[in-house]
Amino acid sequence: MLVAKKGRGFSRQRFELLDAVILIILLFFAAIIVIPFVSVVGMSIATQKETLESTLMLIPKHPTIDNYYRLFQDPRIAIGYKTTIYILLLGVPLNLFLTTSLAYGLVHTNYPGAKIVFYAILLTMLFNGGIVPLYILMLQLGLNNKIWSVILAYGVNTFYFIIMRTYMTTIPGSLIESAKIDGATELRILFRIVLPLAKPILATVLLFYAVDRWNEWFNAMILLRRQDLIPLQLVLRNIVIDSSIVDSMSIAGPRVPRFTEGIQSATIMVTMLPIMCFFPFLQKFFVKGIMIGAVKA
Amino acid sequence: MTELTGTANKKIDFKSRMVQTGRNIVKNKEKYLLILPGLIWYVIFAYIPIYGLTLAFKKFLAAEGIFGSPWIGLYNFENVFKDPAFLQSIITTLRINAGRLLFVFPFPIILALIINELRLGRFKKILQSIFTFPHFLSWVIVASVMINILGQNGLVNSLLGTLFETESIRFLGTPSYFQPLVYLTDIWKTAGWSAIIYMATISGIDVEQYEAAEIDGSTRLQRMRYITLPGLKPTIVVLFILAVGYLMSGGFEQIFNLSNPATIRVAEILDMYIYRITFRGSVDFSFSAAVALIRSVVNLVLLLTADRVIKAIDGTGLLA
Repeated sequence: MLVAKKGRGFSRQRFELLDAVILIILLFFAAIIVIPFVSVVGMSIATQKETLESTLMLIPKHPTIDNYYRLFQDPRIAIGYKTTIYILLLGVPLNLFLTTSLAYGLVHTNYPGAKIVFYAILLTMLFNGGIVPLYILMLQLGLNNKIWSVILAYGVNTFYFIIMRTYMTTIPGSLIESAKIDGATELRILFRIVLPLAKPILATVLLFYAVDRWNEWFNAMILLRRQDLIPLQLVLRNIVIDSSIVDSMSIAGPRVPRFTEGIQSATIMVTMLPIMCFFPFLQKFFVKGIMIGAVKA
Repeated sequence: MTELTGTANKKIDFKSRMVQTGRNIVKNKEKYLLILPGLIWYVIFAYIPIYGLTLAFKKFLAAEGIFGSPWIGLYNFENVFKDPAFLQSIITTLRINAGRLLFVFPFPIILALIINELRLGRFKKILQSIFTFPHFLSWVIVASVMINILGQNGLVNSLLGTLFETESIRFLGTPSYFQPLVYLTDIWKTAGWSAIIYMATISGIDVEQYEAAEIDGSTRLQRMRYITLPGLKPTIVVLFILAVGYLMSGGFEQIFNLSNPATIRVAEILDMYIYRITFRGSVDFSFSAAVALIRSVVNLVLLLTADRVIKAIDGTGLLA
């Protein structure tokens, strides 16, 4: 600690040219990341007239929530939120249940068959069947066009499983052994000893799964082909990307957007906002999580 | 005589081992119960789809399903290699992803090196948060943001219009801009996140090395070049091998959302081809499975080859 302080004082004396260059490069990159978001926020609260007329508009002069008002009249937004929240609320507990029980069950692979199971799980990172057999499987299970298809298709993320298992191996074995001598069952040990100690990693994995579920669109696009079961991400895709495709096809001339830039921006905002709100919490945990993963790799 | 006792011993040995294994199983029955749900999930939703790739050698009949459809040998593969769109999609995939190795892969390394040299502690944290944020957005959102700022009335075109009075450029609708667009948006979304892994490695490098080098009168750039970069090498190697393993499959979500009919000619990667033939045309699941099997096998071969080659050159590899 003392060394670190000394170092900082030392370096502050010599703010060289290199520091300035570094700072400028990093600020430039930060600006490139931030400005598009500012532009989206700006467009979402601007009138269509201002978007078309003013050049270089970041913050509109006459902010209005008109775009949001019109957007929420589109029934798909409500459907999108409903579907995504369903997927999140049913999916994340399943993810955590499967991942945690599997990680704890495989912390030690010293019982018959455990090693095979462990390597069979790792193998799925190198080799997978892809979407075609999964789609046929869902057809045969009769889950097609049901919300459970999307929920079940993403059960365990092998990477998160490894992170969690690695973390659990750091829990001292003597703690678990002494509990066993006292006659505690494995389930009791899991709930009373392991999970309380693994709280940081549980939080990390929970947030990772929640983000993945929120961002879920590909499986839904394949497996849920019902207008009343579209997740929010696909609503966004329909409103922004599909209407931009229409634009890219029309050569010059007057263009008639199906949705104005304002409404498109408002859609981006309502899809992005929850992630933005949870980002500070995510940030607190993810560095820890990815470091454990990196150590393993 | 000795031989006889030998086999007898072996028999007893085998028997006692079986008994012990049996005891072990009983002793650990709770563990089996714990891993059972996860295991069932992997069998149904990971291993049955892997087995499902055998449809490549079958004629898929909806009534018979994955397991019951009759075998037809290599018929599907003959058809796959006859389809020019398939070959084109392989070329496109390799071209885009090889470019990714060249232009996108080094970026997080450079970013981590630069962030590491930044001396303003608190400011560093804020900057890092900004850099990592886009990672948590889906490609649907990122592509939408890009469409927004690169569109005809978007920020970039109005900036260029004000500065140089150019006509608005169709960034998203011009085939020759597509590859740079892929690389730039990839860097925009992933560089900050990927840099974290490198930063974690840098923080593990022994501080004494830097102190010794400083006493010897080295410059900061020299320390960056001769201490930090070599310290990063094992991480770079591992991530490079993984990136090579993704040469045939990376980038579906990005390219699917950034491409449009105007650029599809240069954008249709293998995964998009699979999507199109399976879900957008006349459905032939066996044909799709053949393509998917080729994709999976090539991926695995690429990964293992990259691993072996790097191990031969360097002595470090991903797999033992």
